[in-house]
Amino acid sequence: MDRIRVIDAVAEALVTAGSTYSPEKMRAYERALAVETNERARWALEQIIDNGRAATEARSPLCDDTGIPHLFLEVGREHAVSDDLIRFIIEGVAEGLRRLPGRPMAVCGEGDVRLAQAEGMYEDPSMLEPAPMAVRVVDEDVLRLSVLMLGGGPAIRGRSFRVFHRHSARVVKEQIVEWAVEATSQLGCTPCTLAVGIGRSHYEAANLMLEAQVYGNYDVQSDFERQITEAVNTQGVGALGLGGHTTALATFAKIGPARASGVRIVCFRPCCCFEPRIAKVDLAEVMGIG
Amino acid sequence: MAGIRELRIPILPEEVDSLEVGEMITISGGVLAGRDAVLPKICALIEAGDLGSLSRFLRGGVVFHTAVSLAGVGPTSSNKIEIEGSFDVLSSVGVRMHLGKGSISSETVSALARRHACFAVIPPVTALLGEKTRSSKVLAFPELGIEALHLLEAEGYPAIIAAVNGRSMFESGTNG
Repeated sequence: MDRIRVIDAVAEALVTAGSTYSPEKMRAYERALAVETNERARWALEQIIDNGRAATEARSPLCDDTGIPHLFLEVGREHAVSDDLIRFIIEGVAEGLRRLPGRPMAVCGEGDVRLAQAEGMYEDPSMLEPAPMAVRVVDEDVLRLSVLMLGGGPAIRGRSFRVFHRHSARVVKEQIVEWAVEATSQLGCTPCTLAVGIGRSHYEAANLMLEAQVYGNYDVQSDFERQITEAVNTQGVGALGLGGHTTALATFAKIGPARASGVRIVCFRPCCCFEPRIAKVDLAEVMGIG
Repeated sequence: MAGIRELRIPILPEEVDSLEVGEMITISGGVLAGRDAVLPKICALIEAGDLGSLSRFLRGGVVFHTAVSLAGVGPTSSNKIEIEGSFDVLSSVGVRMHLGKGSISSETVSALARRHACFAVIPPVTALLGEKTRSSKVLAFPELGIEALHLLEAEGYPAIIAAVNGRSMFESGTNG
């Protein structure tokens, strides 16, 4: 039955996202450790790597801030998305939060009460709603769901803001680097992966920032991404802010459509040392329609 | 491991004074866990002279900036206003170590030195910390749920001294 298969597949994807490094991420950490000469930073990197191994083995959370679920759905040309499928996905997220388990972070009440957290939180981790889903049409024969778990620290240090580009990509990059240096020195959970979305509105830039995390690759970096990473790494913040060579493992950037004007809207998120926490599942395959 | 100092709670003022920035340590014993929601409430109790039986957990104590849930424990940013704002008041009643992550201000570094207290960075390694947490229980403000004041029985939490004796690794030139 599709409902049960989809719920189970989405739940397992969420658990994987919250407990496992991708092979590329592990390679990025091994590269960082190989070149690190700062003893304190080496200690921090080893702790982060060991934590990844322990969490993967136990399928337990990498971080106690298990994050807010964000969903990114790629729809191939031959596939349709029904309201039922969306409901099954949402049910799968709830089941995944129970299995991980997610930290109970859904705030009770509405309006002012919710803003002030005056009535506390729900004890059930599955009460945590996912953020609105992002959807893309793709040419592949897939119905691929990416589950991302976004923690609070990077949300505090991230920003979405306008950049007057003065007809130079360098100006945009320099602004991103300036934000990244400030954010990484405050965050504590470095090395970061810097996620960047550039669009025509704040909504579009944030959506593209999520897409950047879905398609970003530690092994393959564009010049734009590499230049930002290298500039940030010259600052010496290092792992956990303890100094050393690697403040950012990589930059994942998505440059979207541009408005004919002097401004670009840039959404920047200094993803923490465990992020992007992401797992992908092809729901077409799960439902036997791939 | 060689070169790692093992600290056991309660920590004495002279033990703090002998620590150095960048020193690697492990911490064992009853660690207090609290963050944004509960630390200002504890400070209010201290300022009202109404700490009661909690005072024995604070004297020589360690305050770990974390929530406590089924997902485990792990540091939140210590430079949040409600957390960093608690350092001086908590240290005034004998807290010797504040345990979290992120940089803190030079004013806080100075305040810690005056109180013979320090700040240590603990890696956000929830899976590993779970293996080193023997038990946890709520000590105060249970209505705050995962953000209540908890007591964790820790066995060898890893950390690194980030600020002590008026020095910190957040000064320029000490972080290379």
